[in-house]
Amino acid sequence: MSKPIIILEDVSKSYGAVPVLRGCSTAVSRGEVVVVCGPSGSGKSTLLQCINGLEPYQSGSILVEGVEVGAKKTDLPRLRTRIGMVFQHFELYPHMTALENVVLAQVHALRRSRKEAEARGRRLLDRVGLASKADTRPGKLSGGQQQRIAIARALALDPQAMLLDEPTSALDPEMITEVLDVLIELADEGMTMMVVTHEMGFARRVADRVIFMDQGEIIEDSPTKTFFSAPVSQRAKLFLSKILSH
Amino acid sequence: MPDVISQNMPFLLQGLVTTLRIAALTAIGGTLLGLAVGVAVQLRLPFVAGLLRVYIEFVRGTPLLVMLFICYFALPALMGLHVTAEQATVLGFVLFIAAYIAEDVRSGLRSIGSGLVRAALATGLTRLQSLRLIIVPLALRRIIPALFNQYVRLLKFTSVASVIGVQEFTGSAMLVNARVFAPVSILIFVALTYLILCLLLSSVGRVLHAYLAA
Amino acid sequence: MWLPGQGRSRFGFTVNYQFDWEPILESRALILEGLATTILLSLCALALASIIGVIVGTLASSRHKGARLGAAAIVELTRNIPLLIHMYIWYVGLAFLRLPPFLCGVLGLSVYSGAYVAEIVRAGIASVPDGQNKAALATGLTRLQALLLVVYPQALRIVAPSLGNVFSQLIKDSSLASAIAVMELTYQASAIEGQTFRTFEIYITICALYLLLVSAVTLALRLLAGPRDDAPAQELASA
Repeated sequence: MSKPIIILEDVSKSYGAVPVLRGCSTAVSRGEVVVVCGPSGSGKSTLLQCINGLEPYQSGSILVEGVEVGAKKTDLPRLRTRIGMVFQHFELYPHMTALENVVLAQVHALRRSRKEAEARGRRLLDRVGLASKADTRPGKLSGGQQQRIAIARALALDPQAMLLDEPTSALDPEMITEVLDVLIELADEGMTMMVVTHEMGFARRVADRVIFMDQGEIIEDSPTKTFFSAPVSQRAKLFLSKILSH
Repeated sequence: MPDVISQNMPFLLQGLVTTLRIAALTAIGGTLLGLAVGVAVQLRLPFVAGLLRVYIEFVRGTPLLVMLFICYFALPALMGLHVTAEQATVLGFVLFIAAYIAEDVRSGLRSIGSGLVRAALATGLTRLQSLRLIIVPLALRRIIPALFNQYVRLLKFTSVASVIGVQEFTGSAMLVNARVFAPVSILIFVALTYLILCLLLSSVGRVLHAYLAA
Repeated sequence: MWLPGQGRSRFGFTVNYQFDWEPILESRALILEGLATTILLSLCALALASIIGVIVGTLASSRHKGARLGAAAIVELTRNIPLLIHMYIWYVGLAFLRLPPFLCGVLGLSVYSGAYVAEIVRAGIASVPDGQNKAALATGLTRLQALLLVVYPQALRIVAPSLGNVFSQLIKDSSLASAIAVMELTYQASAIEGQTFRTFEIYITICALYLLLVSAVTLALRLLAGPRDDAPAQELASA
């Protein structure tokens, strides 16, 4: 593990009087896979969205490759091309084909030529097993297929890290595996990832560390093995017992 | 308030009264006609419904001013009648706005699910009873915002009557302007008056809707 | 000749109107001239109203409260003043500018209709899920790129029918430009009516022409919006 790509220091955020993040600090090193879990409403998604500047935060600091995300002069679009993001509800553009989805930001954010972008787009679609769906619109695809295309869209920018916000929780059970398989492959290749998920099997298999959040706080931040075998906090124990009981 | 306005206030107020009278008359007439037409078309009354659809489509494709010309010049010529400009205006506006209200009524009626109709029928009400007691009151409540939209349109439309010589608010104001030539202050006064009236009217609609929805 | 030329009607008054389409046919040059002016007037106003509407509507969907309030104020201020007054403001109120009537007509129509377009644009943007904007931003697009490439195209599909309504309304509203001496269709009709007294014939004729224009615009917008197989929300309350 080398120096951290993402560093959070005492990050707090609130909507009006309602705190959503409270003094969150952690760091993600290059090549590390970090799983973030916790009950719903615990601030996991918000934390992820703060990291690439989709949500503002009121205090603390978030550094991505040494750049302060919240600073006024930060070139957010540039910073965001360095980080791939995958959403719970895929958020593919419904008015574009799969390939156009993967090409768009390459052309308009990275200024690649259309030809180059399309070639790379096709390679990535092939990699997630959907080369044949290049000219299909998202509305005609299953949730699992859509999420794999969304992953391809994020990878197309050659990101230094990936943020994945509950990538499988909107999927029908039979489609979860096809998406997790893609993510496991990515992890094996050494992609730096922060994944919000409830898939504890996946966490056990690929995560280097697990962060457990509750009520906007990072309660526990331990190596995967420790987290599952001997969680420190009562709340994490309770959460694990609930989620692993079935 | 500039002198041109205060000195001509009585005359302008007279125009405003005419405007409000036309708006009120046509709102009432248009609502009743629109309600009847909307229900008739939605019920698919044989023969009548087809004819009314033609009426609705014709009016919705016709500019208001042309509608007024038809009511002021064409219809009287056709039937050998004499009508005053104000009568023609009221007739034209009622025919005009009723077509739009009829469409609102139709979509209001359509928005009431067939489940509710079946429930009403299942309790032993006749078709007409369920229409009168359940469907129409519900639909009316739902179309209040649309209805008040039409009333606001109507209020703004009344200014068009000045083109065929009705001395309502706009007409009176332009007459004053022709006499004293102070277009800026007069138009600002006229615009603000319409603005306030329209805003008042739409807030009445909002309050009524909120009250009925509660 | 679809009504009896003479005779007593059931309603008790005499129908004494002789239909004669000849004078209408003879005035076709004037009618066509008026039609051309109406089309040009509508197209100019349509373009300008769209620009105004997109700008104000986008401001109305802004994250900044000031921008939202400003946009709302513009919309309320313009659409609650009768169109005729809008035209008089340019033609009579700002007479010292000496704008030609046609331009006054375009300006009056665009500012008035622009408010309606703005409301539709705002509703359209609101109907595109926020996640779409976030996803676009997350891939490094700028806010403007996200709007132009991701949000607007989806919004357009959703609001196309409402937009069609406003544009048809604009064409019909353009008839009010006759009140400020723009020689468009309604103006020419009044002139022809004054010369020929073929009241009924001339107004029926221009009604048909307006209907034609309105249908053309509705059709054009439907084609522009494209197939709607993938549109997530097909319905939107009309603005």
